[in-house]
Amino acid sequence: MALSKTSTKAEAGRYGVLIVLSIYCLMPFVWLLVAAFDTNAGLFLETPDSVSLNNFYRVFAEEDGLRWLINSLIVCGGATLIVMLLSGFGGYALSRTNAWWKRPFLYSIILIRVIPPPALIVPLYQVMLALNNGMRWLVLQVVPREHMRDVMQIVGFIDGYLGLILLLATMHLPLALWIMKTYFDSVSPEYEEAAVMDGATFGQRLRRVLLPLAMPGLAASGLFAFIACWDDFLVPLTFVSSPELRMLPIGIFSAFLRANEIDYGLLAAIAIVYTAPAIIAFVLARRFLVQTFGGGLKG
Amino acid sequence: MLVLPSAILLFAFVLYPSGVAIYTSMTNLSLTGPAALNPRFIGFDNYTKLFSDHTFWRSLVITFWFVLFSAIIGQLVLGLLSAILLKRQFALRPFFNAIILMPNAVPGVVAALMWSSMLASGEYGTLNKIVAWFGVDPQRWLVTFPLSMIIVVNIWRGIGFAMILMNSGLSAISEELYEAARMDGATTWQAFRKITLPLLVPTIFLYLLVSTVTTIAIFALIYALTRGGPAGATEIVGIYIYNQSFGSYQLGYGSAIAVVLLIFSLIIGTFYVRALKVEV
Repeated sequence: MALSKTSTKAEAGRYGVLIVLSIYCLMPFVWLLVAAFDTNAGLFLETPDSVSLNNFYRVFAEEDGLRWLINSLIVCGGATLIVMLLSGFGGYALSRTNAWWKRPFLYSIILIRVIPPPALIVPLYQVMLALNNGMRWLVLQVVPREHMRDVMQIVGFIDGYLGLILLLATMHLPLALWIMKTYFDSVSPEYEEAAVMDGATFGQRLRRVLLPLAMPGLAASGLFAFIACWDDFLVPLTFVSSPELRMLPIGIFSAFLRANEIDYGLLAAIAIVYTAPAIIAFVLARRFLVQTFGGGLKG
Repeated sequence: MLVLPSAILLFAFVLYPSGVAIYTSMTNLSLTGPAALNPRFIGFDNYTKLFSDHTFWRSLVITFWFVLFSAIIGQLVLGLLSAILLKRQFALRPFFNAIILMPNAVPGVVAALMWSSMLASGEYGTLNKIVAWFGVDPQRWLVTFPLSMIIVVNIWRGIGFAMILMNSGLSAISEELYEAARMDGATTWQAFRKITLPLLVPTIFLYLLVSTVTTIAIFALIYALTRGGPAGATEIVGIYIYNQSFGSYQLGYGSAIAVVLLIFSLIIGTFYVRALKVEV
């Protein structure tokens, strides 16, 4: 009797704490979800007079929402692909090699990972500016002047897709290389040796053996890279100024800073468009979280 | 050969810029004015200026409190608490798990937007409505308690990650140990202190390293919510660098701060290298 009494008390305590924690975690979402569907939303949480999808319609019809979304997808998608490609090959090489540079390279990857991006933003700006000027000179040699602007938007380093993609890919490469290296460590080289014995060429080995084997690792490194790029604010804030290249986080930030009255319904709708892919990617990446960040101690 | 492209990118966008930072920090380079075109080499002047600049020291202190209270204390304690409460299987477990993880998935700018509504001043602000039930007057949260509020927001964002790591640490502890402790008549608290905590030390240590690194690097959340204000009260060192470089156009001075931050990060990084025990 006494035992069951204490355990109900403990149960009640458990639920009490969990409910308080849940309210803390959920409360900020409520306003965003309500305001996005409220035709007349304000900064304060209130019951909407009329509910509609009007705000979402306006994000794409009146604002440049579609352009921001496409820009974000191009840049983050491109960076993620590069990260997967480079970390796949790089991780494989790092796992299989015994060269003298292996240990220093791995050490520097970890050291690079701990550098906070704001610490490098000023020199990066100088480097990107120099690269941009170099690219401009190069483009001028081959492209007529009237197409200059369009071409630079693609291959430029400031206000250009190429620069954003390469920079974001590099920033998230160290973690991905580390994931792939540890991943290949756990894959026995016997599979490849068997393929070599069977006389497979390198291309066949890559396609038939290595790629299928590497899939889970690549999925993890790709997802983490995508989440980090999608969340990144500093890079588009610093290296994008033209409205044609504006990405979602800056779109939200600029809508938030608008000097005249802020349109909160619109803002909430953009925020939901921006958050949805992040949540999907996070749900997919969740099962890799522990082995990526928690497995380090065994490593 | 396969590592070469990665190495080139890392060199171009990390190592070379670090070198540039060190060089720039010894010039008076600026975004505007004569110093923009012809920066002068001024040696360690930026550093002497830095160490007597009280706003720099203040931003270091703010960074310290921010990391200490949000990552080391807040997220860890609440994350460990949720991991323990959610250890046993029960009907609503996946539900609570998902809720606590949700803030983790939200991009920084959106988190700032959500919390600017939560913390809005005036009696209709959500938090003000909540505290009104307890008889507290409406507050201007981001003006009166800016740093504490930033910490509250960041804890909110990080409980989930801490919970996942602690959860994996907890599940590695054998149930038999608790069984034995109960036989010996140990209370729950004693079991926690004598079994859970000591066995969790490696996990906690790893978590502290990861979260210290990520918390120092936080930019979007604070920049979108307060831009370091009011009057520099939430200017952690990353924001300070950005404001000095692109707000006051002092690239040389901004770089000097960046170099100090780089050195500090590398010190944490060496601990990290040791913790991970890179095996070759």
